[in-house]
Amino acid sequence: MSIVARLPRRTLSLTEEEEAAPPTMELTGRRRMTAEERGTAATIFQEFRADRRHREFVVGCLNCGECTTGCPAARFYDFSPREMLQIAQNGDATTLWDAMQEKIWACCQCYTCNMRCRFGNDIAGIISVMRELSVSHGLESTRRTLAPFGRSLTLLMTVGTQVASDMIQPDFFRDWGPFATGSDKVWQVSAEVMRKAIPSDVLQTTRSSWEVSVQTSLELFRIYEETGVLDMLRGLDPDLTEMLIDIIEERREEFVEARERFQDQLAGQTGPVTTFSG
Amino acid sequence: MNPILVLGGGPAGLSATAELASLGAPTLLVERESYLGGNPKRWHYSLLAPDLRPAEEVMDPLLERVTGRPEVELRLGTTLTKAERTATGFSVALRSADTTVTREVSAVVLATGFDHFDSRRKFEYGYGRYPDVLDFKELEGMIHDDKVLRPSDGRPPKRIAWILCVGSRDVQVGNPWCCRMGCAVSIKQAVEIRQKHPEIDAYVYYMDIRTYGLWEDLYWKSMQEYGVKFIRGRIGQVTVAEGGSRLIATGEDTILSRPTEVPFDMIVLASGMEPGTGTKQAAELFGVPVGPEGFLTPRLSDLNPVDSGIPGVFFAGAATGPKAIPDAVTEGMGAALRAFQYARR
Repeated sequence: MSIVARLPRRTLSLTEEEEAAPPTMELTGRRRMTAEERGTAATIFQEFRADRRHREFVVGCLNCGECTTGCPAARFYDFSPREMLQIAQNGDATTLWDAMQEKIWACCQCYTCNMRCRFGNDIAGIISVMRELSVSHGLESTRRTLAPFGRSLTLLMTVGTQVASDMIQPDFFRDWGPFATGSDKVWQVSAEVMRKAIPSDVLQTTRSSWEVSVQTSLELFRIYEETGVLDMLRGLDPDLTEMLIDIIEERREEFVEARERFQDQLAGQTGPVTTFSG
Repeated sequence: MNPILVLGGGPAGLSATAELASLGAPTLLVERESYLGGNPKRWHYSLLAPDLRPAEEVMDPLLERVTGRPEVELRLGTTLTKAERTATGFSVALRSADTTVTREVSAVVLATGFDHFDSRRKFEYGYGRYPDVLDFKELEGMIHDDKVLRPSDGRPPKRIAWILCVGSRDVQVGNPWCCRMGCAVSIKQAVEIRQKHPEIDAYVYYMDIRTYGLWEDLYWKSMQEYGVKFIRGRIGQVTVAEGGSRLIATGEDTILSRPTEVPFDMIVLASGMEPGTGTKQAAELFGVPVGPEGFLTPRLSDLNPVDSGIPGVFFAGAATGPKAIPDAVTEGMGAALRAFQYARR
């Protein structure tokens, strides 16, 4: 009997067991999508392509790679702005879906790619459109990716900033070169001094940067409400959204009380009157 | 017949002048510089792509055809400052050093050419800051004199990189067009260096290789016979290695989709072609149409690429767009014929 004849028979069709529990991985190594996921991916793709910003941000691409060269995230992650733009320009529902699972969140939105792009694409912009879609569709992967950032998000949405200058370490300021560490003999500049280069209106420490006026907070909330950010967030993290709404209401009450106090004071005064409205 | 004015003494202008002289037409050749030969002479071009012929072998016969001929009046170090239409052609003011003369001419050939892009404008490559970052026009002279040495320490380089499309195909600097020559000239330089110094490694970083038409042969041979290496992707920044003098080229290898960071002894920038200063001035003086890129626009770029659409004004060479020497020479011939027909009408 020949060796070939003794080999177990292989067929191209799936076995009964395989039919019952299809493999979770495709041949390419990516996870097999469920029917529901495929449906969402198709919807996202349609919305993405219909977004007016798509036409404006994605102009064309020579695949030169200068965006990726300048990208700080590309140095540390499996992330490339060139790939993101290629997917935005030529990709299909599946590649867009794949990119939206994890990769888009590696971007730090520094817009260096835009500055480098010789074709005039808004790469960071189109990535933020992808992010919006992944949040508004409440993707499970997005929920997972953003879970550790609840604290940052709360700070950002309530006081408008989450970084204070005394939190910055020289390691994060590589673009200042070796000078930032103070090791340079000519400049003798320390990281301490370099931090002073931050514009003075954000030169705040952890003691002061999270203390903002009620008015500033309320303006921020107004923006989030009017632009639909709160609704977007509700699909992703309902608990966080409820908490934010509580904070908003609290601050609004604070504001109304302050206004009443102010008007009471005014009533007891004579002379020119300034209005105080919100 | 009043003389025909040829503005610019580069390949196109020389070719036009030579043809006009051979037709017996009095010709006034005006050149801003103190010498003839245009950019090839100015930068001491070495071999010319694609046939690898020494630039002198191409330029000298052209120069011989215009010098010492009774039909040709040569004015070097001269610029045009005024042009007015007359019944028979134009009245032009020519200024050299401290004197200005007015001349009557019957027709005009604008062969005002191109300028190389100023590579300092792509600041990320460090040209003008790091001595070992060169513009490829400067390397031409070095190859020509067989003195390819690092300007910083005078030592021979071990590894050289060429960066293509510097100031071409780039809206950041406002030059979205292709210079047509950068690929071929860079590859030719790499071949020349590898011919003479096989110990030097040559890398070309490219987005697309545009050795169009029969020039493709040069591209293939550069790999087959001279081992020039091609990496697809742009260098995004050039820095200097810490504590050393080697240059570090950082970019993305877009075929392998991964970052590259390679030390080089010398980096050569293939600077693009921009409309020459003379081209811009001539456009204003004669009121000829200029395209969005700043080059002169022929009325019918397909049917008659040397006619400006303004009676008596003709174009030749890189004034209408990036061009190789053979194309410039051909256009010089065409413009000479059209100008002669106009002047004799």
